[in-house]
Amino acid sequence: MLQVNSLRVSVDGKQILSGVDLDVQPGTVHAVMGPNGSGKSTLASVLAGREGYSIDAGSVTFKGQDLLEMAPEVRAREGLFLAFQYPVEVPGVTMMYFLREALNAIRRHRGLEEMAAGDFLRFARQKIGPLGIDPGMLKRAVNEGFSGGEKKRCEVFQMAMLEPSLAILDETDSGLDIDALKVVSKGVNGLRRADRGFVVITHYQRLLEYIVPDRVHVLADGRIVESGDRTLALDLERHGYGWIAEGPASLAAARL
Amino acid sequence: MAAVIQHASPYLERFGARAAVSGTEPRWLSERRELALERFLRLGVPTSRDEEYKYTDLRRLSDGRLLLGPVSMGNAREPAHLSGQAVAARAGDGMALASEPRAGVSVRSISEALANDDGWLRAHLASIAGFEGHALCALNTALFEDGVVIRAQRGADCPEPIHLAFGAGNLARHARVLIVAERGSRVRVVETYASRGTYWRNAVTEIHAGENARVDHVRAQLESEDAFHTGVVQAEQRRDSRVTSFSLSFGALVARNDIGTRLGGTGCDCALDGLYAVRGRQLVDHHTGIDHAMPHCHSHQLYKGVLDGRARGVFNGKIFVRQDAQKTDAVQSNKNLLLSDSAEVNTKPQLEIDANDVKCTHGATVGQLDADAEFYLRSRGIGAREARHLLTYAFAADALDRVCVPSLRDHFEALLMARFTPGVG
Repeated sequence: MLQVNSLRVSVDGKQILSGVDLDVQPGTVHAVMGPNGSGKSTLASVLAGREGYSIDAGSVTFKGQDLLEMAPEVRAREGLFLAFQYPVEVPGVTMMYFLREALNAIRRHRGLEEMAAGDFLRFARQKIGPLGIDPGMLKRAVNEGFSGGEKKRCEVFQMAMLEPSLAILDETDSGLDIDALKVVSKGVNGLRRADRGFVVITHYQRLLEYIVPDRVHVLADGRIVESGDRTLALDLERHGYGWIAEGPASLAAARL
Repeated sequence: MAAVIQHASPYLERFGARAAVSGTEPRWLSERRELALERFLRLGVPTSRDEEYKYTDLRRLSDGRLLLGPVSMGNAREPAHLSGQAVAARAGDGMALASEPRAGVSVRSISEALANDDGWLRAHLASIAGFEGHALCALNTALFEDGVVIRAQRGADCPEPIHLAFGAGNLARHARVLIVAERGSRVRVVETYASRGTYWRNAVTEIHAGENARVDHVRAQLESEDAFHTGVVQAEQRRDSRVTSFSLSFGALVARNDIGTRLGGTGCDCALDGLYAVRGRQLVDHHTGIDHAMPHCHSHQLYKGVLDGRARGVFNGKIFVRQDAQKTDAVQSNKNLLLSDSAEVNTKPQLEIDANDVKCTHGATVGQLDADAEFYLRSRGIGAREARHLLTYAFAADALDRVCVPSLRDHFEALLMARFTPGVG
C-alpha cells in the first residue's frame, strides 16, 4: 500500500531524513518510534504533502502511484489521512461545514454522490458517539478553543468520517491523559480493517499498549536503525534511546 | 488651492443650472447651499497634502468633469435580493417616490418634502452633516438636485428595510438622503450604489435618531470599477438612541467613505461596521468618526478588509471622548486580509480622550491567509482554491454577521465569494 524507498529530505539545506525505507501493507499497523528530532514528524508531513520540504532522493508510492507528485488534497482523496500532532484552529469555519466539504470532495473523487446535509449529520452523530465528543462540537469552529485532548479526539473523529485507507497518526498520544488515551486508542482500534493500514508515530511506548502494532521501527538521525515486532517497543521503554549512539548492537546486547 | 480656483467655472455653472431648476426652494436652503458652494471653492477637491486624504489623493477629480460632465453612467443590475421587500425606492433619473411602507413612516423626494414642509425639514436637512470643513459634503450640499427624505414619526415601527437604489443619472451622482427617526421609532434603510462606466458619484446621507429611536443603516457601494465614489454618512443621536451602520465597499476604482455619528445624549449606542473587498488597482478608504459627547454611551466598530492584486485600503478611526463623556465604552477593531503580496493597507486608530473614567480599546491587524490552516483543509481533501475561499469567507464572516438584514447578508457573502478567485498556492 505504502512504499517509502531511500527517502532523503532536507529543510533549508539541512538533511532531516537520510534514507528512510518503509513498507506498509493493508491491514497492518506500523509504529515509528524515535527520540525528539529524529525526523518522525518530518516523515509524517512529507507523506501528507506539507510544503517547505525538499525531497532530495528516494521515492514514495501509494497504491502504486507516485505519492510525492500529488497535491495534498489529492493524497487525501486517494485515501491518505494524517492525524496532526498540532491540529490547526480555523476560526469562522464550523466543524460540520469543514467535514462535509472534505467528505464530499473525497466522495466526488471516488465517483460517489455527495452526501446531503441530513444524511451527513446522521453519519456524523453515529461516528462521534463512541469517541465521547459532544455533538455540539460540530457547530463550533474547527478546533477553536478545543482543549488538547478534544483536538486529538477530533482528529480521530475526522479519520472515522473520512474512512482513509492509510492513516498516519503523528504523536496522537502526546498531551493526552490516560483516560483520553484509552478513548482515542479504542477509536483507532475500531477503525482497524483488513484493507486499511496505519502508521503510528510516537515517542512513547504507552500508546502501543493500546494500539498494538504489527511492526515497530526506530527512527534515529533520519534513518530507521532498527525494526522488529512489538517487543522492540517494550525494549525501548526499558532501555530508552540512549543505545542509539552506540549502534543497534548495543541494544541487541541489552536485550539478551 | 490653485487646482480648484482654476476649475471653478464648471462648478459655478452647475450650481447656477441647479438653482434655476430648483428656484422655488426655501430661502434657508438656498442660503445653506450658497454657503456650501463657497466652502467648497475655498477648500477645493482634497489632495494628499490634506492629512485627512494622505493616502487618497483626489486631485484628478478637481476639474469636476466626471461629476459634472455629460452623464457617462449605465444601468447596473439591481440587487435582486431586495425586490419585494418593503419599498424599493429608485432614486435614479426620476424621483417619483412617495410611499408609506408603514403607518407613520414616509418616503418622499426632497422636493416634495420641501413643498409640504412646515418648518420641520429646516432643522435637519443640510444641518447634520457639517460642510464647514468638509469639501465633498459641501459640494454635495451645493449641487444635489433632489434626494430622499425618510421620516419615521414618533413611535412608528418599520422593521422592513427601505431600499434606496442609486443607479445611473445626473441626480443620483449627487445622491442625497435624509433619515429622521423621531422619538421611539425604528427604521431600517439600505442604500445601494451601482452603475456602469467612468464617473464620479458624491453622496451624502444624514441621519437623525431621536430619543430612544433606532436606525439601522446599510450602505452597499457596488460601483463600476472604473468609477470614483465619495460618500458621507453623518448621524446625530439623542439620548438612549441606537444607530447601526454597515458600509460595504466592493466597487469603484477609488472609494472614500466618511462615516460618523455624534452621541449627543446619555445612554446612546452605536455600531459602525463595514466590509471592504478590493482587487486590481482599487483603493478603498474609510474614515470613521465617533463623537462621544455625553456620558454612558457605547460605541462599537468592526471593519474588515480583504485586498487582492495591487489594491490599497485605508482605515482611519477617530474616537473623541469629550470631557463630560464619563463611563464611555468604545471598542474599535480593523482587520485586514491581504491575498497578494502587492496589496497594501494603512490603518490608524485615532483616539482623543478628555474624560478620565472611560473604557476605550482599539486594535488593527494586517495578515495573510494562514498557511497552516490552508494545509490543514487541503490535507482533508478540500481543494486549494476552495480552501482559500473558505478561509477568506471565514475571515469576513463576523463582519458580515453584523448586516442586520439576513437576506442581504447572504447576498453580500455571495458577492464576496464571487469577487475572489484566489490563486492556487
